[in-house]
Amino acid sequence: MNISKEEIIRQTNEALKKEFELTDEQLVPQANLKDDIGLDSLDAVDMVVVLEQKFHINIRQGYDLRSIVTLQNLYDFIEKIAQESAQKEP
Amino acid sequence: MVQKVHFPKVVITGCGAVSPYGVGVGALKKGLYENLNCIHRVPELEELALVKTKVAATVQEIDYSSIPRQRRRSMSRMSVYAYYAAQEALAQAGYQQAPQGLGLFMGSTLNSISVWMDVCNQCLGGHADLVKTSSFLQIMNHSPQAVVGQALKINGPSFAGAAACATGLLNVGLGAMAIQSGLAEQVLCGGTEEYHPMFSACFDIMQATSHNFNDRPELSCRPFDAQRTGLVCSEGCGLLFLEREDLALARGAQILGEVASFASNTETENIANPSAQTMQECMSAALQKAGLTPQDVDFVNAHATATLAGDAAESQAIYNVFGSNVKVNSFKGHLGHTMGSAGSLELIASLMMMQQEECIGIKNLQEPAADCAPLAYVRQNEPFKIHTLLKNSFAIGGNNCSLIVRR
Repeated sequence: MNISKEEIIRQTNEALKKEFELTDEQLVPQANLKDDIGLDSLDAVDMVVVLEQKFHINIRQGYDLRSIVTLQNLYDFIEKIAQESAQKEP
Repeated sequence: MVQKVHFPKVVITGCGAVSPYGVGVGALKKGLYENLNCIHRVPELEELALVKTKVAATVQEIDYSSIPRQRRRSMSRMSVYAYYAAQEALAQAGYQQAPQGLGLFMGSTLNSISVWMDVCNQCLGGHADLVKTSSFLQIMNHSPQAVVGQALKINGPSFAGAAACATGLLNVGLGAMAIQSGLAEQVLCGGTEEYHPMFSACFDIMQATSHNFNDRPELSCRPFDAQRTGLVCSEGCGLLFLEREDLALARGAQILGEVASFASNTETENIANPSAQTMQECMSAALQKAGLTPQDVDFVNAHATATLAGDAAESQAIYNVFGSNVKVNSFKGHLGHTMGSAGSLELIASLMMMQQEECIGIKNLQEPAADCAPLAYVRQNEPFKIHTLLKNSFAIGGNNCSLIVRR
């Protein structure tokens, strides 16, 4: 999957805004997903599903999602997964 | 020696309603007393060529932004209705927040069909692994009870009894019994439902829908009338706050009525065809449990959905128990059939008549049908002081419920 960092940020923000009724002002890279954006454990579960659908990736297995604390962590994580899956593509 | 068991009296001290007339008991009262129309043509039914009925009654768009997102994410439309009805019933009972140990007894006929369809579409597309948890929470069998209980911090015993069209009344009966048994001291109880065209289609294939007034929706639902052809599907939520009488008196709550008895039985001959005999036995059992004679009851709020078989059987059953003098009405001409919420929503409307000392006439009853028993059908709104009323709910599936309320 070849996707630019900017596109990852745009699509992630778009998905989070729609799913969790967020505003652009809330979606700053340093925002803490729990404390600043207000996502709880059930939101986190739904977030995984939404991002998997959006980017056609599998992030629920094989990764420690607890290390994702801020929005920037999330962008970086998706970018890493995207690069991994791009390398696996024939 | 047989010891007589004395159960505590159970009283009603709060009501909450969401109906096709709008949010609140006030909107319900205005719609019923002013004989307003809330039944309309449904665009989705126009697309279904084989479905004869083209009308339904639906709750207009609700601004649900006041419900916090993390509560609302697990709520289907019927749970949103229940949330607002619960808040209203609590407020009328005198509570800003649910009291400690409050029970919640609430069910529905089906769960949200629209959410189910989204989930099924994902599964059929091979993506069962992408169903969101919040979607799952919306289609659990006890979803409205669970999510409204969470949202309003109702922490007593909770049950989600389901009995199709009798769900609302069943849960009021079960709630009253929970108080009598000591399981809870106070309960919120009733039914909720959200409309989907599938309801209309399914009742239509059973030849049980209104189809002869599609172009005059306001005339389409006609309980006990000669021109009735069936029901009009609808939606809403009715919840009642019940508590032990001594508690209500001690805290100075306004008592809207006493639940004198609840009876229930099951039709076993046919899952969809009602029987006057079983209905009659249900009403008689309610009288017996309350220690009342038929003469003690001065009003019957019938289930009467305007189906051919149902109205004929129920009118005969009422006649067999009470004779022809008891006053009888049905709210289905106004509201349509609000399904799982019908029993509790109509019980709230019945309490309203008791308080108001004015009965509400049966909408669209122009000429009582020859196949319905001769009863004192209330045709127009009229002043009348109800002392003791019996409310019926008879469900597809055979679940019958009768509940008696007195001043």
